[in-house]
Amino acid sequence: MTRVVVVGNGMVGSRFVEDLLAADTAGRFTVTVLGAEACEPYNRVLLSEVLAGRYGLGSLTLPTPQDPRLDIRLGTAAVAIDRGDRSVLDTDGVRHRYDRLVLATGAAARIPPLRGLAPDPATLPRGVHPLRTIDDAREIVAATLNARRAVVLGAGVLGLEAACGLADRGVHVTVVHPAPALMERQLDGDASRAVEAAMGSLGIEHRVGVGAEEVVLADGALTGVRLADGEVLAAQLLVLATGTVAATALAADAGLATDRGVLVTDALSCAADRRIHAIGDCAQPPEGGSGLVAQGWDQARRLAALLSGAAPAVATRDATGNDVVRLKANGLDVVTMGVCGSQRPDDKAHRQLRLSDPAAGRHVEVVVSDGVLVGATCVGDAAVGADLVATYTRRTPVPADPAYLLLPALPTGEATTAASPADLPDSATVCRCNSVTKGAIAAQWEHGSRTVEELAATTRATTGCGGCTQEVCDLLTWLGGRTEASQNVPMEGEMRFTPGKHTIHSAETSAS
Amino acid sequence: MTASGVSTHCPYCALQCAQALTPVAGGVEVDGRDFPTNRGGLCRKGWTSAAVLRAPDRLTTPLVRGTDGALRPASWEEALDLVAERLLRTRQVHGADAVAVFGGGGLTNEKAYQLGKFARVALGTANIDYNGRFCMSSAAAAANRSLGLDRGLPFPLADLGGAGAVLLLGSNLAETMPPAVQHLAGARARGGLVVVDPRRSATARLVEGGQGLHLQPVPGTDLVVLLALLHVVLAEGLADAAYVQERTSGLADVQRSVAAWWPERAERECGVPAGLLRRTARLLAAASPTHGGPGAYVLTGRGVEQSSQGTATVTAAINLALALGLPGRVGSGYGALTGQGNGQGGREHGQKADQLPGYRMVDDPAARAHVAAVWGVAPESLPGKGLPAVELLRSIGTDGGPRALLVHGSNLAVSAPNVDEVRRRLRGLDLLVVCDFVPSETAQLADVVLPVTQWAEEEGTLTSLEGRVIRRRKVLDPPDGVRSELWVWSELARRLGSPGVFDTDPAAVFDELARASAGGRADYSGLSHERLDTGEALHWPCPATSGAPHPGTPRVFTDRFPTPDGRARLVPVDHHGPLDDVRPDAPVYLVTGRVLQHYQSGAQTRRVPELAAEVPQPWVELHPLLALRLGVEDAAPVRLTGRRGRLTAAARVTDTIRPDTVFMPFHWGGAESVNLLTNDATDPVSGMPEFKVCAVDVQAGAPRGARA
Repeated sequence: MTRVVVVGNGMVGSRFVEDLLAADTAGRFTVTVLGAEACEPYNRVLLSEVLAGRYGLGSLTLPTPQDPRLDIRLGTAAVAIDRGDRSVLDTDGVRHRYDRLVLATGAAARIPPLRGLAPDPATLPRGVHPLRTIDDAREIVAATLNARRAVVLGAGVLGLEAACGLADRGVHVTVVHPAPALMERQLDGDASRAVEAAMGSLGIEHRVGVGAEEVVLADGALTGVRLADGEVLAAQLLVLATGTVAATALAADAGLATDRGVLVTDALSCAADRRIHAIGDCAQPPEGGSGLVAQGWDQARRLAALLSGAAPAVATRDATGNDVVRLKANGLDVVTMGVCGSQRPDDKAHRQLRLSDPAAGRHVEVVVSDGVLVGATCVGDAAVGADLVATYTRRTPVPADPAYLLLPALPTGEATTAASPADLPDSATVCRCNSVTKGAIAAQWEHGSRTVEELAATTRATTGCGGCTQEVCDLLTWLGGRTEASQNVPMEGEMRFTPGKHTIHSAETSAS
Repeated sequence: MTASGVSTHCPYCALQCAQALTPVAGGVEVDGRDFPTNRGGLCRKGWTSAAVLRAPDRLTTPLVRGTDGALRPASWEEALDLVAERLLRTRQVHGADAVAVFGGGGLTNEKAYQLGKFARVALGTANIDYNGRFCMSSAAAAANRSLGLDRGLPFPLADLGGAGAVLLLGSNLAETMPPAVQHLAGARARGGLVVVDPRRSATARLVEGGQGLHLQPVPGTDLVVLLALLHVVLAEGLADAAYVQERTSGLADVQRSVAAWWPERAERECGVPAGLLRRTARLLAAASPTHGGPGAYVLTGRGVEQSSQGTATVTAAINLALALGLPGRVGSGYGALTGQGNGQGGREHGQKADQLPGYRMVDDPAARAHVAAVWGVAPESLPGKGLPAVELLRSIGTDGGPRALLVHGSNLAVSAPNVDEVRRRLRGLDLLVVCDFVPSETAQLADVVLPVTQWAEEEGTLTSLEGRVIRRRKVLDPPDGVRSELWVWSELARRLGSPGVFDTDPAAVFDELARASAGGRADYSGLSHERLDTGEALHWPCPATSGAPHPGTPRVFTDRFPTPDGRARLVPVDHHGPLDDVRPDAPVYLVTGRVLQHYQSGAQTRRVPELAAEVPQPWVELHPLLALRLGVEDAAPVRLTGRRGRLTAAARVTDTIRPDTVFMPFHWGGAESVNLLTNDATDPVSGMPEFKVCAVDVQAGAPRGARA
């Protein structure tokens, strides 16, 4: 029996447990989970939906396997790792022995160094909230009841989603972002301008390239935010979306190497102690941590495969697509992947194409290398964004001219209007069920078929689903008009100006 | 439409359009007949169906493969003696399970029933399965697990007419059963038809002009679409809480499982914009009864079911329907659109490896006792579970696998996945016996071919896609030399010294079927040919009664679900994607499907001159961007290469398909069969092969004749 202790019961820790138990068909593992939060695991990605008022908190709960191999301790944090003893001490004073220890402790909200804010999140003034946990979301929602104006500090994905969510609730929102572009890791200046314009149409203000300096308080409650340029934005609510700090203390205290996160190898284990693994936001793998859940879930899957023996010693790392960033906000369509943003490396092999359409709020850029899409930025075009993600994650070959990637490949068909009978070629199928063409119907007209019934008898048109009946009527009317016109020239003028007569005629035909 | 002539139904699909057939010199004349499903309409296949009766190569004499390797005519006596003698020898040397039987979803109820009985009683083999495994098995497995019963549509098809929304996944019914399109008119008029298909198919085009929505996902990701739709329904509080509380169990686990499938994540997997997924979920919810809507339906077809996650996909569709409070409500529901003519009845009466008549399970002691009593044999003499179709086909002709195979109503040499391997396996058998009315590709591989009756030459019943039992009637005598399969089994049973009685009269066989089904999930015991001949609309279950006859059950689930606790089960499922996925040396998805002019393996429709002339050969549909990249022009040859095979066909360039996908219809044999490429990996629950998606390399091909 292999004893696995998992520290952390968040999105990645709980997913790892699910994956491991599913892969453990031989029943070789027992799993103990220590979860610092007292609640069941939940989907942090959806907290902005709660802010927007679209989701209830219950919708965020993630699966917990019911399994005799599994012991979950909620509201119990890990205090220390004793590597010699191979055990973890928890806050209840219980010692958990392990053969494998998995750290999935996640990350905490980073509190920015503003005047008026202490670095300890427990002592934030009234009206100031990070957005990291379900409790944070609950508190922000409560705060919106008394807040008419809010400032969101930090315009990464979380900040923009939070801003849109608050705006959906009717709060006046200003986004403050010190970098020169919104989501600057993903967007360059031009792309950022397109997003800024879209925010404007949602009623969200922005201050880009200006940092915040101070929280302005009255009676211990927030009244405004002072910016670096001196402007004071009045606000009763400040949401801090200024990044996260990986929870590495437990590992560091145990003498394990940490940097921005717990340093792990390709096999997701600590170099100094291969029985200890780290996954998710607390981990720093060789390719770096992205802070995206896709990477954490991929790590969970790989580690479960490694431990259960379902994969070779070093699981293949297929990170393609784990860096897709998709903004989840009502009215803002933003998706980026791979090579994007202004910090991108200069690579001669990269072919970069862009479509810039500020008036329509659209900005699309693709980066192609060796016939494969290696990066893209798409603002304001949901259909193109979805196509690009599919192309990027599956590495399917791009068109001979990659410029085609900038527009939707699939017409939606919504704008289709029925062609008038005169415009149809003779080869056009009118009755699909029975493969009857316009030409065939015209030929029967020449042979004397004048009604739908007569045409049905001779061509079987309309005798399947009947969906073409109106089209056949229109065709009959047109054929009639054409004949009249050719036989009686003076009629032409009347026909041109009184189409109503013919419409009535076709209604009679279809009713007969 | 008024029609004289004999009232019967079309020989092709499960819609079973009503026809009136009038005998005329040299054949019959076909007319449409008013009926709730087709309302007098017929598609091109139905109108031209009489041509198959006059197929110039119609089989009219048994054929036996001679020592020279060629099939030669033989007398029935000689052929049946030969088959019986070799079956007995195989059984003696290799055991009873060394004889296998492969049936079909086109066989009448009577034949399907008798074939199952013949296998278990006369042959004593566990190894009987049928082509419905390629067709309805995923829908059946999921419906049984979640709803306690598998009746394709658990409501009359005409009920769809009042719906505010119809979500159609993996069905191209505008091509496969065109007259059914009439029933979508209501939903279309309300802007509520939602079609999920990687192609803008004829069915997807029905949503144009504001009549609904088309979702065009990456092949093999329909399950993701469904998970995201359920995510939105649950997260946005759109579910029918009272219904879920009263009539279902398992919501909590399913809600947690879909919490991980928010639309933006789903978009990444399935390529459908997140906003469109949300809009779809809200459209379905708005049409649902709990929100005061006129009703909503979720319908699945083979496009989503023929997958290694087919059962999971149907389960997700049922989960969605249950969350919206649809199944068991008049005017709403979940249903699977059955494909083959008797795909419904054919899966109820004992052709399946694990089932006995009446949808009873072969490993249920009470079921065995009941059926054995009807058959007049000891329960312990009945074999247990046999191998499901793909496993069966993989094992035939191998060491320890079946050595002899009887094929009825199926054209495996065209219709099976990874078909070249299946052809090899068929050739490796000691004995292959094929009953057919035309020399199908499978018949041409046989050691013995037995010519049998078809459609207008026989009496019987079928059970249509809505679970209604309908009569097929004889209009004309079969050609000289042709016999019914009921007669064939009776003759073989006698030669094999079988216990039990093998009737040859379809009405008598039906009466026995009715008794065998009594008390089963698909209970036909209140039905008879005589009662059906009154024209009464009778949907199963229709049990025998002591008093007034049971009126049949047009709508099931209205009071309770036939599960132990009466509740439907929400079952969590997750997505893994195609098993043969795109990769650098095969970067394009291949999907397959049907065309209006042809049916299944094409054995019938390719013999109808009008249809064959219109669509004489298959093609490969590809997007202009893919064509441009490969330098392929419209109508030029393209070469598809996959893990299991390769083929060349003409290109058809169209912007109705995703640029990462090609499509090819599957009605042709030999080197034109797309099943040379399809994947025979199967769904772990249903045994359904993954026909509908695999990865291929696509290249401009050499012109015809230039190939080495």
